[in-house]
Amino acid sequence: MDLSYFIFLSSGLFLGWSLGANDAANVFGTAVGTKMLKFKTAASIASIFIILGAVFGGAGTSRTLVELGSVNELAGAFMVALSAAFAVYWMVSAGTPVSTTQAIVGSIVGWNFYSNHQTDSGILAKIVSTWFICPILSGLIAVGLYILVKQYIKHSKTHIIRQDLYTRIGLIIVCAFGAYALGANNIANVMGVFVDASPFHEVTIGKVNFSGTQILFFIGGLAISSGVFTYSQKIIKTIGNDVMSMSPIIAWVVVVSQSLVLFLFASQGLKNLLEGNGYPSLPLVPVSSSQAVIGAVIGIGIAKGGRGIRWSLLGKVALGWVTTPIISALLCFIFLFVLENVFNLIVYH
Amino acid sequence: MFQLKISLFSQTKALENKIDLFHDKIIDVAMTFKKAITVFLREQRSDEYRKLCKQIKNIEHDADNLRRDIESKLYGNNLIPDLRADVLELVENLDSIINRFDEVAYKFYIERPEFPEEYHNRMKELCEQVSDCAENMAIASRAFFRDFSTVRDYSQKVYFIEAESDLTSGKMKEAIFDSDMPLANKLQLSGIISEVADIADIAEDCIDELLIFTIKRDI
Repeated sequence: MDLSYFIFLSSGLFLGWSLGANDAANVFGTAVGTKMLKFKTAASIASIFIILGAVFGGAGTSRTLVELGSVNELAGAFMVALSAAFAVYWMVSAGTPVSTTQAIVGSIVGWNFYSNHQTDSGILAKIVSTWFICPILSGLIAVGLYILVKQYIKHSKTHIIRQDLYTRIGLIIVCAFGAYALGANNIANVMGVFVDASPFHEVTIGKVNFSGTQILFFIGGLAISSGVFTYSQKIIKTIGNDVMSMSPIIAWVVVVSQSLVLFLFASQGLKNLLEGNGYPSLPLVPVSSSQAVIGAVIGIGIAKGGRGIRWSLLGKVALGWVTTPIISALLCFIFLFVLENVFNLIVYH
Repeated sequence: MFQLKISLFSQTKALENKIDLFHDKIIDVAMTFKKAITVFLREQRSDEYRKLCKQIKNIEHDADNLRRDIESKLYGNNLIPDLRADVLELVENLDSIINRFDEVAYKFYIERPEFPEEYHNRMKELCEQVSDCAENMAIASRAFFRDFSTVRDYSQKVYFIEAESDLTSGKMKEAIFDSDMPLANKLQLSGIISEVADIADIAEDCIDELLIFTIKRDI
């Protein structure tokens, strides 16, 4: 196996690490922040399920990114991932909520421009539309869940101590589900551009066959997990309850909504089931867990009468939506130029 | 894993029972206090009054143990992190009501105030009111743990009865100072009446805080 592949893959691993640090906080940050789960417990569960999600559910969203731009040279893929990672780092440093998905989409479009490949406007429109659908859908699910949970608490008259126990169990389950959905949905951002050049071959362990892509996704999953363990705690402490202060039950509603949305945009099985029965389905597109969380929190805030929401943050979010893909595309274009003309590397063919 | 699950549920159930028992203690102490003062007015420091005082002391002692147990379980097991501080304050407040019942009953025992016959009914009425206040406070607090939408109903009762107890104690003091008894007796009785009426005031303060905790408990 060519060692240079791993050198080029490093930018994807770096992006995976930053995704783990940044986005895993969306999955269990509220549970840890509200002191319902210990960081180590949450991080361990999340890491295992992120890897499972990436390996067993990551294929669908990766196909969409490949359709957007089939980055056909390893050096090009390296730079696409690196530009996205830099864009994410830059935006995080500026304190703007950032989406790894938007960064990687921007980078791929940047590569398309540089390599004179036509960007499929249909695919691009499909992806961009999810940037709006994702938070709205998450908000709607959160409002529905919030009303249901509120009614349940009112009518069940569960003791506060028992309610605490149920919430903890619920948070553990949803932490696992959210991590699986994050792995399945977002692995494409990290490893999608490396799929075409993957040197891995099919491996059989016991009775289970793992394709080369699944092995690549497993490595990506490990990178995300390393981000979870090494840096997400710091992000959780920094962000805290940024948009609205949350009770543990609200935290649970937010994570369920976010996880469901990520799952809906990642599950090939669900898509087949819906389409098989003649129902409309959602495209399999990597979406931003940060935006899903913000959508859910705002949805609940509105359901509570709009009190306590920091609306000023919405402006920042909107700014991030516009600037992240543009910065990422520009960085990619410039870096590709440098790579090709200074280092004499082939970045496309 | 299955055992761990059972243990978690049984621990939760045990703590729920302790919180319920703690509330029972407030109702117990209020009822016993009412009975004790009636006995005192009739027999002064009789054996029966001593027995009832002892009973109140035991309830207070049991409540202290339960309070410590509840507090250590809440902190030790890191339970209800968002509401723990409020619950601890609530438990402390309730305990202070129980303590006050004990202190007042003991004050009657030590000072042996002599209430003229014509004030007995008013005194019994005042004791009835402060006991009702404490009982409703306990019911409101119990509701906070299970059915917080009804806290407000019981709170209104506490506010109403506390106002009534203020009127009763005011009228009693007025009548005492209008009477011909020696000033020393007037001051002693007035002091004792204030102490009894204070129980209702403490219950009212607890309710004020409880209502704020209830707003915070709403998701």
